[in-house]
Amino acid sequence: MFEINLAESGDVVCRGRLDAAQSEKAEAFMGSLSVNSTLDFEHLEYISSAGLAILLKTQKRLSASGAALRIVNVNKHIYDIFRYSGFNAIFEIETL
Amino acid sequence: MTEKTFSRDVDNLSEIYQFVEDLMSASDIDASVRFPIHLAMEELFVNLVTYNPGARRDILVEVEIANQGVKITITDQDAAEFDVTQQRGVDTSASLKERKPGGLGLHLIQHMVDTLEYDYRDGRSKIRFSKEPESHDV
Repeated sequence: MFEINLAESGDVVCRGRLDAAQSEKAEAFMGSLSVNSTLDFEHLEYISSAGLAILLKTQKRLSASGAALRIVNVNKHIYDIFRYSGFNAIFEIETL
Repeated sequence: MTEKTFSRDVDNLSEIYQFVEDLMSASDIDASVRFPIHLAMEELFVNLVTYNPGARRDILVEVEIANQGVKITITDQDAAEFDVTQQRGVDTSASLKERKPGGLGLHLIQHMVDTLEYDYRDGRSKIRFSKEPESHDV
């Protein structure tokens, strides 16, 4: 199960498991972002390379207009994935 | 050892996850093992399915749990040769502008599991990987 939606705070809230089978849903939502955005990963349990590819693609697209993604409430396991991927150097990340 | 076969469809990922998760939960496997095991399982299954679209035969997954560690063997009798233990040259220090989406799956597996073995013979690939709890690594 994976859910992605816009909270009242304006943050993009992700829940569940972002795997290759769910990447289309994530990509459709992320494609609608056009300004600085905060992704709240507090309830995201898991991400694989399919999800990383969407984050990277979105960050590259936003950076062309001077905007960026910020990712907050990242759990230890997902942060390990970010670190091994070098994402901690190209995203602003806050851990739980 | 517990085994199950899965048809070659990325939509089977949730079923594969549940199969492996149920076995690990029953043995109270630590999260430091579960996460890399699920990641490696997904990345390798997706690679087998995605990069050999003409294949038809199901993929066999065998799970072995011992001493709080997990070993998984994935056997594909209908595989294209692709050595998952080879380095693929992902530059994780490249700038955002230089980075290209994709190619991270094997890079992550190679860093996050303890062992990764590949054997290819006559169209059959066998991939084995394992992970022990972090506290056992020191």
